[in-house]
Amino acid sequence: MNLVPVTYKGGIYRHDEIMDLIEDLGGYIIQKHVLAQEVVLQALVPREDIELIARIGKPLTGEITPSPLVGTEIAVVTMSLEIHHLPHASCDVAEYVRRMGAKTNMVGLARGFGKRIAQLNDEERDVINEHDLAVYLLGDFETCIEHKFPVLRRGIHVPIIVLGGPSTETLMRIIDPPVDGYVGNVGRFMHRTKESEELEMLDQVVTEITRVLDKKREAIAKDPPSVSPARLMDIISSQVDEIHEVLSPTPITVQMTGLRVKLPYDRFAPLLKEIVIEEGITISEVAEILPSRMRDYILLRIKPFSETNIMV
Amino acid sequence: MDAIEYFEVESPEDAGREYYRRIADVVLLDHNLLRVIKKLHISIDPRIPLFIAVGVTKKIPRVIKVGDIADVNVQERKVTLSIGDETYLAPLLKILWAEYGGDKVVQPDRFTVILNIEGADGRQIEEIPVIDPSEALYKDLIYALLVIQPEGFKVRRQYYGKEKFYLVASENTLPENFEELVKEKFALMGETL
Repeated sequence: MNLVPVTYKGGIYRHDEIMDLIEDLGGYIIQKHVLAQEVVLQALVPREDIELIARIGKPLTGEITPSPLVGTEIAVVTMSLEIHHLPHASCDVAEYVRRMGAKTNMVGLARGFGKRIAQLNDEERDVINEHDLAVYLLGDFETCIEHKFPVLRRGIHVPIIVLGGPSTETLMRIIDPPVDGYVGNVGRFMHRTKESEELEMLDQVVTEITRVLDKKREAIAKDPPSVSPARLMDIISSQVDEIHEVLSPTPITVQMTGLRVKLPYDRFAPLLKEIVIEEGITISEVAEILPSRMRDYILLRIKPFSETNIMV
Repeated sequence: MDAIEYFEVESPEDAGREYYRRIADVVLLDHNLLRVIKKLHISIDPRIPLFIAVGVTKKIPRVIKVGDIADVNVQERKVTLSIGDETYLAPLLKILWAEYGGDKVVQPDRFTVILNIEGADGRQIEEIPVIDPSEALYKDLIYALLVIQPEGFKVRRQYYGKEKFYLVASENTLPENFEELVKEKFALMGETL
């Protein structure tokens, strides 16, 4: 079954029918937002059933749109959390990408600013490495980007997309060795992005993220994870009651090959290990359960099929 | 609103110059400072790195006195102040309390303050200085320049007064001749420090 990421937007009236339908079809609901009279569902659904969901949702004023970023967790790395970069540039990008379905976390570096003085500490490095992709928001001067970027990428092994003030060509020229994606003309600015050309610029960022993630998906498809992260999410949320008391918008965050479970590691890791997925196969057999560097959360990295020889 | 007479951003990088021009424009507008600045020259050299902002302000309003914001009406046993502009009411009350004591200052409504004192000199009360707007203004100006400058330039020297101001900042030690550089930038605007 080929699951594709979609966003369903519709009225709150009878939306539970749509949720049941998606689950009955074998899909997974990653996140549900209720905004006044509207419901937004981010879900993974079987490709051949999109038509059916659209038909059933139509009388409920529901709309279903593909959103390739659902089921990914993206780090938006900003050089600091000072007024120089917030709210504009950093939040604008993070929020726009979030609207496209991704779960974005903003990583504000403690000492990312400056040219000579920029640095990245081990905690920041590890937190960024827990994501599927890192979007670096850099400044307006190519001299500075060229000088500081090697420091900021040290030890990062997830795909990187660089955003900066200089043109895309300039960014490609000055960054060596190359990174996975570049979007120029998105550097430091202090105004809200609301004009059409600025929104177009944010669309370019989303396009670039989608392109890089598609490439990553292709690579993953060659050696798929032993269990789909969405399925694992479903199993954990049905078997661990405490997860329903977590107040985060996504108590279990789905990544491309893993999950972030927002429960304390010390208490819940042994519990998660023992959970049976199917036919006696436990989570510990198909995934590594690691302490996350983000608070005291749990990070699950699902092992690929080649390592476990299990596919559930 | 009058436009700024002179506004230039110089930098060896063309793209960076245009972005910083926009940033400076937005920040000054957001902080409501465009109307007080007459001339502004910003120079950013990311190679050193060094940020210099020099400027001239318009005539700044003089010290605001009690007579500017209230009508003083002296009666036999009390003085009534009818407040015209309540912007500076809070600092005014603070001054009156310190001067006459909290129990002698009564405020029956928003726009009236009564001083229960005898034999006061109305002229003298009118002359009490309430606030010096230029002090706050220059502080706002320097704050705005700190927002405009690239982040991380922690070593800085600033100056304001006599309708002129400058801010020099870098992440390294400032060059020894930075005062000459500042004078050069003032000269570009046709001014002398």
